[in-house]
Amino acid sequence: MTTTMLAADYIDTHVGKAEVRRGGAGAPLVYLHSASGEGAGLPFLDELARGHDVIAPMFPGFGASEGIEQIDDMEDAVFHLLDLFERLGLEAPAVAGMSLGGWMAAEIATRYPERVSQLVLINAAGLYIKGAEIKDIFGRSPGEMARDMFADLRHPMAAMMLELDRMVREGGSRFVLPFEAMKPQLQTMAATARLGWDPYLHNPKLRKRLHRITAPTLVVRAAQDTLIPAAHAETYAREIPGARLAELPDAAHLAAIERPAELAALIARFLA
Amino acid sequence: MRFFSFHLAPYPALPADYEGPAWVTCPNELFDPAIGAEVYNRYLDELVYAEELGFDGVCVNEHHQNAYGIMPSPNLMAAILARQTARVKIAIVGNALPLYDPPTRVAEEFAMIDNISRGRLIAGFVVGGGPEYYSFSINPAHARERFQEAHDIIIKAWTEPGPQEYIGKHYKLRFLNTWPRPYQQPHPEVWIPGAGSLETMEFVAKHRYAYMGIPYFHMDVFDRSFRMFREACEREGYQYDPKQAGWLAPIYVAETDEEARRQYEEHWWYFTKRLLPGININPPGYTSLRSMENIMKGVGSFALSLRDWQEVVDGEYAIVGSPSTVLEKLERNLARLGTGNLLGLFQLGTLPAGLTRRNLELFATEVMPKLRARFPDGKPMLEASGVA
Repeated sequence: MTTTMLAADYIDTHVGKAEVRRGGAGAPLVYLHSASGEGAGLPFLDELARGHDVIAPMFPGFGASEGIEQIDDMEDAVFHLLDLFERLGLEAPAVAGMSLGGWMAAEIATRYPERVSQLVLINAAGLYIKGAEIKDIFGRSPGEMARDMFADLRHPMAAMMLELDRMVREGGSRFVLPFEAMKPQLQTMAATARLGWDPYLHNPKLRKRLHRITAPTLVVRAAQDTLIPAAHAETYAREIPGARLAELPDAAHLAAIERPAELAALIARFLA
Repeated sequence: MRFFSFHLAPYPALPADYEGPAWVTCPNELFDPAIGAEVYNRYLDELVYAEELGFDGVCVNEHHQNAYGIMPSPNLMAAILARQTARVKIAIVGNALPLYDPPTRVAEEFAMIDNISRGRLIAGFVVGGGPEYYSFSINPAHARERFQEAHDIIIKAWTEPGPQEYIGKHYKLRFLNTWPRPYQQPHPEVWIPGAGSLETMEFVAKHRYAYMGIPYFHMDVFDRSFRMFREACEREGYQYDPKQAGWLAPIYVAETDEEARRQYEEHWWYFTKRLLPGININPPGYTSLRSMENIMKGVGSFALSLRDWQEVVDGEYAIVGSPSTVLEKLERNLARLGTGNLLGLFQLGTLPAGLTRRNLELFATEVMPKLRARFPDGKPMLEASGVA
């Protein structure tokens, strides 16, 4: 068990307090989390912090960050993140994001290319590709979701999702988790729905704006991500000028949680 | 006490080998138009019959893409009823406001029905069920805001001279000027159904509308909900009027208790086991955390959890029995809940036409007159029963 190199702090923003983790030495690297709200005690961030000043904000509605009720769509999300950049003194950091966070990173880099020095998209949402649609995250059971999120179902988080499924199945409609246990999940899914219910986890205008990105870009696709089909990473890599596409083996959608060391090494090599 | 006959218009012929939910993803291939033609006409006849039997009103409601209730447009049903009845109130409970864009459509159609029926419309407004936010791809996080704005637009259109302007977050109307205006002035009575959400109760209390408790819960859940509603009225600085509360309950009357259960039970299980699954989907952001906590308290007390008939009887999920049994149960619960409106579901699931008519007749002749005598209009119900 390693102690985390990142310390949590609270930053005032225009929409309220933001929970931000920061640590490590080197050039600034912002990490934008996925809809699962990973951040606290995440080994992946410690790995990155070996060579970077890692800044990991929790988006409003996640963790202790406030103000989600003032954010209606991706445009609001981008302005919130720019606000955070200003307050943290970040002129043009490297920006990495996974899934929902990858979508946000791409939105910042298309709208304000000069604010992103390097870009890393990990299993990023944000596009609609006919015939290769992103699977549903708002109505499926935790057990079904676990199979898209993890390549190895023995991962503790996958095992927990499967166990939850088993409890629901056996308890039937009488099974009710305590409210306090469900609260974080209810909160993060509600926050995600604000941004990605309709259109579903994409911005129809994003694809035609990708040519605007000027940052050197790495597109990471986890080999066993069954939530977002490979065509998404391929499209990002093809349409962002000069982008590189890398495949991460033995990982599914939540690659930063499942393969922290391997993913961090891949990113560190690219950023160096 | 006012008595309403409420029809859900269930699809009664889901194939025995279909085990999926009745909502959102229930394949529409399973809808047989021959059965549709039959039951739409039959259900309308059952509502019209309620007027003949002396009910005060009839109720229809709105649901989409499901087999539970095949009235995506209750307004069409109400328009027919406006011409086929002459006396009863016609309660549309309600239109799911966030699904109408712009919601002036509701102001227009409700006003048309109110004119055609010469002032017999009761205007129900609902947020729409969780499944509807999947069926319409409308962001559930905006459900309450859209409902609030749509409500304001309709009331403004009905009560303030047009043309006027409404600029909100979700709706922007530069020329708000609906024709026709409602027959009832300033506007028809407004009913809001709710399943225990505190926000809904506070909204109803603030506007002095009527709160209709959504059924299929254990009686204790209703008891808590109506108590919360009365308290919400008190926080607004007034004592609630029983007319502001309605209890919606499945009711079945036969000659004896045994006969009632024998005739009714299979249709009840078709309803709870086949048509209810899927109704409880709660999309992210649809309910505030504050309300979610309260709603979750009721989950284990929802009819989906029922295992056997004894539980139905114990929790009084349905009021079933001989006329004297049904009278006793209704009298006791009405006094406990303090609701001045009783909304009965006299047809449920696969309950066939013959039994439905007989049920309506026995209720109207053997039960309703006695309840009318017991709960005269304008008399506080809770005080009379010593509950308050």
